[in-house]
Amino acid sequence: MGKAFEGRLEQIDAFRYRLPKIMRPDMRVDGIIYSSPSLLSEVLSGGAIDQVANVATLPGIVGASLAMPDIHWGYGFCIGGVAATDPQQGGVVSPGGVGYDINCGVRLIRTDLPVGEVQPRLKELVDQLFRDIPLGVGVGGPFSFSTQEMKHILDEGAPYLMQRGLASAEDIERTESNGHLEGADASAVSAEAFKRGHDQCGTLGSGNHFAEVQFVEEVYDASAAEALGLEAGMITLMIHSGSRGLGHQVCSDAIKSLRNAPQKYGIALPDRQLVCAPLDSPEGRQYLAGMRAAANFAWCNRQLLAVQMRRTLERFFDQTGESLGLRQVYDVAHNIAKMESHVVDGRRREVCVHRKGATRAFPPGHPELAEAFRPIGQPVIIPGSMGTASYVLLGAQTAMANTFGSTCHGAGRVLSREAAIRRASGRRIDQELMSKGIFARARGRTGLAEEQPEAYKDIDAVVECVTHAGLSSKVARLKPIGVVKG
Amino acid sequence: MSSQYETFEHTADIGLRASADSLEELFAALGQALANYICPVSQVRRSQSRPLNVKADDLESLAVDFLGEVLGVVQFDHFMVAEARVSKMTSTEIWVDLLGEGYDPTRHEIAAEVKAVTYHQLKVEQQAGRWVASVLLDI
Repeated sequence: MGKAFEGRLEQIDAFRYRLPKIMRPDMRVDGIIYSSPSLLSEVLSGGAIDQVANVATLPGIVGASLAMPDIHWGYGFCIGGVAATDPQQGGVVSPGGVGYDINCGVRLIRTDLPVGEVQPRLKELVDQLFRDIPLGVGVGGPFSFSTQEMKHILDEGAPYLMQRGLASAEDIERTESNGHLEGADASAVSAEAFKRGHDQCGTLGSGNHFAEVQFVEEVYDASAAEALGLEAGMITLMIHSGSRGLGHQVCSDAIKSLRNAPQKYGIALPDRQLVCAPLDSPEGRQYLAGMRAAANFAWCNRQLLAVQMRRTLERFFDQTGESLGLRQVYDVAHNIAKMESHVVDGRRREVCVHRKGATRAFPPGHPELAEAFRPIGQPVIIPGSMGTASYVLLGAQTAMANTFGSTCHGAGRVLSREAAIRRASGRRIDQELMSKGIFARARGRTGLAEEQPEAYKDIDAVVECVTHAGLSSKVARLKPIGVVKG
Repeated sequence: MSSQYETFEHTADIGLRASADSLEELFAALGQALANYICPVSQVRRSQSRPLNVKADDLESLAVDFLGEVLGVVQFDHFMVAEARVSKMTSTEIWVDLLGEGYDPTRHEIAAEVKAVTYHQLKVEQQAGRWVASVLLDI
């Protein structure tokens, strides 16, 4: 962990704090932190604010170095960090601004199953999901792809799975960027990354990744909920996973290969984890091509996990997915860098938006959204910790104006994994969850201990902050009843 | 001659800390510390050997790259590591034999999945005549 922040933050309004660029001679822009009095004290103690300042030193950064209210310490960039760089101003791309788990993200699936029908058989269902969902820890999953197939996955993303009958047109349309980033290039991905990934597409992984059975606990915006197929009391399924070993390797490879780039391009960095290269340089282009390929892999990974969950439910209830009303609500990335069009200082520009533990939140009418979402804005899925809740939000115009179309991504950790395990000592987290009506299955007990609800910030406070700040609006709150963890 | 290692905590992740009388022993301890964090080394038989040769620009990068290679052997090849034997090393290059065996789900408990070995707060240095290192893992 980093040191506690020793400088002073200026309060801009009820939910925004400024870290003025005059604080450090190397900052090119201000830092702006979305937070609230109840969340701020933890933020100040963990070293994340200095990381906001470090990111503000990156060449070509425009607007401000931003942090969402779920901010916590990360490698190089803080988690919850958003930064846009302009290639016309020598802007850089930094693998630390995306993270090791490239396109870690969340997918939400709705059903026509009332919670009351599932609850009596919940334990049985979760046990079946635990058996069927490939965790991919130790050994690979049931989907193994040849080198040629892997190239298609990396170059084309989820649309390739549609050709293989493993995704529907609606799945693709209801996925950020249609599950495919332009400019991905499988040849920019190392042999080691291929090796780590070839048997991991369609596996959940460990850490904070999960598959959940939930129900819609509360609806805040009835017409938006209806448009998204969400109804109070109905079961939803959520998947949280990323690009697995392939993405981790792409990031590690990039940090290694960019090691000398800062010196070559005359970039002074306050932290080695912030290694970067100009967007418009061979090194920058190479990273972007590989990162996009890993992002495509991650969309295929979540697609295959969704296919597996669908098959399990079909068998379990002896009904077709269609008659169960299984349909994708949306799929969002929360660790990614993308070229997007934004107005900065009164001028429209193409900038590279790094979102590290932050979610795109495009407003109604945005041309990149599918027809179905134009009237309401982009669905944003915010996973909470195991025992609490998740939220469905919508993107808003204020996010477009102030945060490069971004909002929070989750609750944000407050306890280290070891502290969480210590705090769980002598307790049975699975039984505590059970007493709250949540049935959880994980490989070991430490997995549940590390991810216990107390290890995270209060998701309600994080969501209140982004909604009051106008970055998103609330549609529905989802309550977990069944959890599968790697 | 002696070496030791332990893990230490960090908000989101976990750190490895090792100390030893010599640089060779330090790297051997780091390698074993990583392996032990992923799968307890007491569960792994030393029935096979995998040679590794890693080069880097400096000692700290060598530590990250070496551990990255150990992670690779575990993750690409599902080869569980019990011990890292350093046969030779300089400040920019290391030759190691990893002793272990293929993954066997009936005997090997994967305690943790490690995403990457990072540069954050990375330290490889001599303190009072002893070599010490600390490395953070993203998990």
